[in-house]
Order: sequence, then C-alpha cells, then structure tokens
Amino acid sequence: MDLNIRIAGEAGQGLVSLGDILTGAFSSAGLHIFTSKSYMSRVRGGLNWYDVRIADSELFALKQQADLIIALSPEAKEILEETLSPKGIMLYSGDSDDANKQTINLDFVKIAQEVAGSKVMANAVAAGAIFAILGYETDTLFAYLKKEFQSKGEEIVKKNLQCAKKGYEKTKAKALKLKAPTGTNGPAEYMSGAAAMSLSAAVSGVKLVSAYPMTPGTATFTGLANLADKYGIIIEQAEDEISAINMICGAVYAGVPALTTTSGGGFALMCEGVSLAGMMELPIVIVIAQRPGPATGLPTRTAQEDLKFAINAGHGEFPRAIYAPGTIQQCYDLTRKALETAHKYQSPVIILTDQYLQDIQKNIGKLSDEYNPIDRHIVKDVGIDYKRYALDSENNGISPRALPGGKGLVICDSDEHDEEGHLTEDFEIRIAMHEKRMAKIDLLKNDLVCPDFHGSEDAELILVCWGSTFGACQEAAYQLNTKGRKTALLHYSQVWPLDASAVNKLLEKNKRIVVVEGNYTGQFLSLLKEQGLNGGCELMNRYDGLPFTAEFIMEELQS
Amino acid sequence: MKLAKADKHPAWCPGCGNYPILETLKEVLDEKRPERDNLVLVSGIGQAAKLPHYVKANVFNGLHGRALPAATGIKLANHELEVLITSGDGDMYGEGGNHFIHAMRRNIGVKVLVHNNQVYGLTKGQASPTSDWDFVTGIQIHGVKTLPFNPLALAIIEDCSFVARSFAGDKEHLKQMMAAVLDHKDGFALLDIFQPCVTFNHVNTYKWYRDRVKPLPKNYDPFDREAALKVALSGGEELPIGIIYRSKRKSYESHAKVLNKGPLVNQ
Repeated sequence: MDLNIRIAGEAGQGLVSLGDILTGAFSSAGLHIFTSKSYMSRVRGGLNWYDVRIADSELFALKQQADLIIALSPEAKEILEETLSPKGIMLYSGDSDDANKQTINLDFVKIAQEVAGSKVMANAVAAGAIFAILGYETDTLFAYLKKEFQSKGEEIVKKNLQCAKKGYEKTKAKALKLKAPTGTNGPAEYMSGAAAMSLSAAVSGVKLVSAYPMTPGTATFTGLANLADKYGIIIEQAEDEISAINMICGAVYAGVPALTTTSGGGFALMCEGVSLAGMMELPIVIVIAQRPGPATGLPTRTAQEDLKFAINAGHGEFPRAIYAPGTIQQCYDLTRKALETAHKYQSPVIILTDQYLQDIQKNIGKLSDEYNPIDRHIVKDVGIDYKRYALDSENNGISPRALPGGKGLVICDSDEHDEEGHLTEDFEIRIAMHEKRMAKIDLLKNDLVCPDFHGSEDAELILVCWGSTFGACQEAAYQLNTKGRKTALLHYSQVWPLDASAVNKLLEKNKRIVVVEGNYTGQFLSLLKEQGLNGGCELMNRYDGLPFTAEFIMEELQS
Repeated sequence: MKLAKADKHPAWCPGCGNYPILETLKEVLDEKRPERDNLVLVSGIGQAAKLPHYVKANVFNGLHGRALPAATGIKLANHELEVLITSGDGDMYGEGGNHFIHAMRRNIGVKVLVHNNQVYGLTKGQASPTSDWDFVTGIQIHGVKTLPFNPLALAIIEDCSFVARSFAGDKEHLKQMMAAVLDHKDGFALLDIFQPCVTFNHVNTYKWYRDRVKPLPKNYDPFDREAALKVALSGGEELPIGIIYRSKRKSYESHAKVLNKGPLVNQ
C-alpha cells in the first residue's frame, strides 16, 4: 500500500524543511519513499508543494492525488483541496471555521512559539502532527530530529523534540486518522536525480565544472559544488553560458574531464561551443535539464521539449551521443557513461534530464562514493612528430589524443585543419577530415545503451518512453496489468544515435504501441520514424509543464 | 583540387602591422622560451587570431571572441602551462567584451596581446570597438557615432595585474613590452598594441601613430593606480605607451586550494 503526503504553502514558509524531515524520518524507518517538488518561479509567496509518497514496496513515480495535505497557507488549502483523495485529510496550519469533517486545524507556528519561543520549529510541530495522523510511533521521528539538529546544540534538539511531541499529542487526540504503510526493507539512503548525477561526475573524475546558474540545471551545479572539496573539483560560475562551454572546451584540451550544466535557454547560447567541440574533437559533457519553452517559458516546470534541439544543436555536421536517464540509478550510471563515451570517441556528449528528474528523491541502495576516475584515453610521451588529427590511426579512425605540456605540440583549430591541427582550406584535406569525424557515428551506433523492456512478451499494449517518463509509465503498466490489461514498457535511456529496431520488432508482433512524451510535437516518435519505424504508433503527450503520472496515462488511454 | 599550395602563411597583406608583431614575438620567444612544451597560444577569430599558426607552440585556435574562456579553462586545468592569447580589437573588445571584463575580475593568469588596428580586417573594413569617432566605413557610411572603447582604463578599474600598451611600428619598444609580459609572473597581463592596418584603415596609419605615441617617463610609477588611470584616459594628440599599470593582486588560480596539490590534470 502507499500514501501520498503533500506539503503546500508559500515559498519561504519552510515547506522544504518539513518535507526533508519527513523524507529523512520515513526512509530511516524502512519505508519506501518517493518525493517530488512543484514550485513557482519566485522566492517568496505563490503556491509550492512538496510531495512525500510512502509505501511498503518500491515506488516509481509521483501521484496526482494526495491522501494528506498539509496546508501552510489559506491559498494552499483552497487551491489544492480538489487534489485530496476522497478519504484524505487536510491538516491546516491555522484556524479555519471549515465545516469539512476531513480538516484538522492546528496552528503550527503558534504552538511552536508557545512551546519553544520560536516560529522556526513549526516544522517539528507539523511533523509530530503528521506522525499522529498516520498512526506512527514517535521514536523514528525523534531519532531523526536528534540526528539532524545535533550540530546545533542540545537546547535546539530539546526544543524540537518538545515541539514534535506537542504536535503529536494535540493531533492524536483528534479522531481523524489515516491507514499508513509500515516500514519494510526500504533502503535508508535516498537521493535526488541531480545529486546522483553530481556524485557520479565527481567519482568519475570530473575536475572542472563551469556553468551559469539556470533552473532547473542549477541543482546539478550545486550538487557538484557540495562535492568539490572532497573530490578536488574546481567550480567556476562563468559570466555566461558561452563562457561556460568554452571554458570546459579549454579544460578538456588541457586534459581534465569537465562538464557544464544548463537548461534550454542557456544551451541555446552554448550551441557554437558544442560545434567547436565537434570540430576540435573535444570530450565535453553537457547536462541539459529541460523545462518548458519557448524562450523563458515555465522556468520551474518540467518538459521533454529539447530532444530535437539537443540532437541538432550546433552548426555544421558532427557526431554526438545523447543519454536520457529515467531513474535515479540511471542518473548515476549514465553520467559516468557520458564521460566515458565523450573520452572514448573524443566527441561532445549530452545528458538530457528535466526539472522533474532533477528534483525527485527516492531511496535506493547506496551509490558508490569511491573515487574511480574514467579512462581519459590519453597517449603519453609523444614525440615532436605528433599529429593531433592523424589520419592513419589504427584506433577506428580516432586520432590518439595527447595533452599540451610534452614534446609533441598539441594544435587544435576551429577552422578545418590538417593532421597537425593547423588551419587549411584545402578541399581534399577537408573531405578526409570531415569523413574521419563523421565516421564516429557508426562507432557510436555500435556502442548504444539498448532500450530496456519491462514486462511480459505477450503484452498487447506497449508504452514506449524515453528519459524521465519511465517511472510514470512503469506504474501505469503495473496498474494496467493488475486490471488484467497486458501492458509492457520499452524505455530508451540513450536517445541519440537512435535505433528503431526494438520498436519495429514489437510492431511485427502486432502490438499496440503508444509513445509517451512531454512535448507537443511528438519529437521522439518523429525521430523513430526518421530512423525507419515500420508501422503506426500512437502519441500520448503532455505539455502543461507537469510531469506524467500513472493516473494521467490511464485517463489518456481510456479517452 | 589541392588548394594547399596556395594556402601559404601568413595570410596578411604586405606591410600589415601584424608582421612586426609576429617577428618580435618570435624573437622574444626564442630568447625567453626556447622550449615550447609548456607554451599554449590561444586565439579566437580574426587576422590577429591566425598568429598562433605561425609560431611553434601548442595551439588552441577557438571561436570568435572566446579566447579568454578557453584560456581560462586551460589555465585552471593545468596552471603550469603558460597561456598566451593573441587577439584583435574586434575579437577581444567586441565579441569577447563580456569575457574581457570577467577574466580581469578573476585576474586569471593568462597573457593577452591585442593587435589593435581600430578596424575589422578579416571581414573587410567595418568599424571596430576602438574605431575613432567619425571613422567612415562601408557600413558606418556617415562615420562611427559611438565612442571608442578604452581597454586600458577598464583594465585599471578592474585592478588587472599588468596593463601595457605598445606600437607595432616601434619594434624595440614592442620587444621590451612583450618581454615584460613574458616575465610577468602572476595574474592577468594585457598588452594592447597599436597595429596599423594598411588596407582598411587609412586614418590610423604608421605615420599617424608615430606622430602620437609617446613612451612614459622613466620615473613613472606603474603601481600608482590613480596616475595610471589618468594616463589611460589621456588621448588625442598624445598616446602614451609603456607599462601603464601594475598591481600586486594575486592570480585567480593562486586562490584555488585544490591547486596546491599540483595541476588538476595530474590529480
């Protein structure tokens, strides 16, 4: 069983702190958790919410409906009431003359002030109240609060515990309760998509991160900044995205793995730099956290609108690989893979994530934090006859990459260049060099991360998805199967180069195929067609800025 | 068809101010950097940006206006490399203007030679950020109506650690300045070089510059910031050349603790 808790209020009211307390306490109790954030592009006011979903088995996505809403503002209560499940409870922080029997009024701030003389501890009051409604004992909450506030001194710990206790007691006295799952084997460690990507980049040996802050890409930038001292990374906040990408181009030329993080608008500014990496054959990695456009769009919402943009970004023709993780684990695995691919093929590599995947948290097994740098594929001790763009290379046409600082001079040019790297306008050299670069497309095609098939071979309905829509599709497939409708899932975590053969095999078996993606035009579906799709597929899309949910998919399938 | 035979170096007009800059740089490098292993020449796009191809060194000839970010990345990745940028007034002060501001704010330890000919050469004769008021071109047909950019004054305001100017028509002075740039140990070094363009700029000619450039007096103290700013703001009939400003500010990379363990590339 599962239960969805929605903490809602204005930006600046501390709802993230409350969500974090619940997430920490629940996961330490062995519950499976899945959290997501929905926020407006403002620092104060508005209406934000933080969902903490708990269950006794693994969770894959968020839910539209909430079983318990903690409303910290009148607007939160009013606007989100319609998302409350039929037997759900509204816990409202304040006094209301609400006749609704499903509402509990409890002024967290007032209680915190009475008990501890501090408004800040309203979160502890609320956490206590939530534990009471769910019928949980307070021990795991108290243990978590102790651990969390330990560094702030005994007095603070004591006051927090008093507040939590008061919230618990006051609420327990009321009749309204919810049946909640009990903790089982959920791992205690949890992580966000952005944090998993950051950790992976750090352990894989990224040494320089240069970026310009842009929501929702900033979460990865911040994650890496938090790891910088531990892993020896230089974090550079560039003056703009153009600088950021050119800086990482310089850094990888000099030999260190480097990456940048951004979102659609920032990536638009980087395009010339992506082309530079294509021409100079530089192993850069770009993390694009998508949000709805065009232009500034909906800055804090989610989308899958930049797929074709990422594939085509940069003038001229050059190969690239694009990964699109669908889970926290894939955020970790594919960040390393992206760095490896970039270095192996001396090509720019892009990771497409989005606001939803950046911010969701889930408890998964511990991800390794052991430093384990990737192979940079560098040749050492080259002589004075070294040619950076040698054409006679045996390594699949990939010229051995040496670094500046040795006897062999390393010459790179954004112009077309000869084998040494000096600019040339000679047509024959141009042909040879362009063919050498473009030949990497086939190498990349032979090294694809194959799409994952989840479900039974005899399924009649197949949901095809890419990137972050995996979780919602997974949950929808599970629910459909429970209802007797045989459904399976095909998830692509590498979206370029793209091979349509996995979908074609399913089409040959007369499966009904629905492509699920977060954009208006069906970008992935059209790419599949471009890559030789053999039959008709339906499109299920969403472009309101909100993530897919199982409920949404089920409703769409019905209509 | 093989164009390589026609693709001879350099690609500049006879009499171009870039020739004395190239020759002088080669001389200074031969004297001061006989080993080129650790020297990286970085450039963007433009006539000046082609210079790295004519010198024996490691080369990163990147995008128009983006020499500084690339050079910053190189320096941070391996601070034992000497990173020398050759750029023009359009590349550095126009397209790369934002990077120019922020690289000096950082005081990243790269050395920048700007071949300042007050006109666009590669695109054939349009105004540059340093073109004089009323300078007529095929685009600015009624003359330039924007004030020329003052790189030296900006550099001093940014407390850039080394700010100098020279003239391509005075090889001896130019050599002294380039030597001083190479000797500069820590932090951003800017050498703006008046470079006559014999094809597209018929106003700021060799003679025009020669009549105006004036070396700074021997007792001039480059560490006096206010005096330096006064020199940088002077102009008109007298154009001071020499080391205009120096500061003892430490370089950006020297503040990065992670680099105490050696270059990032070896970590």
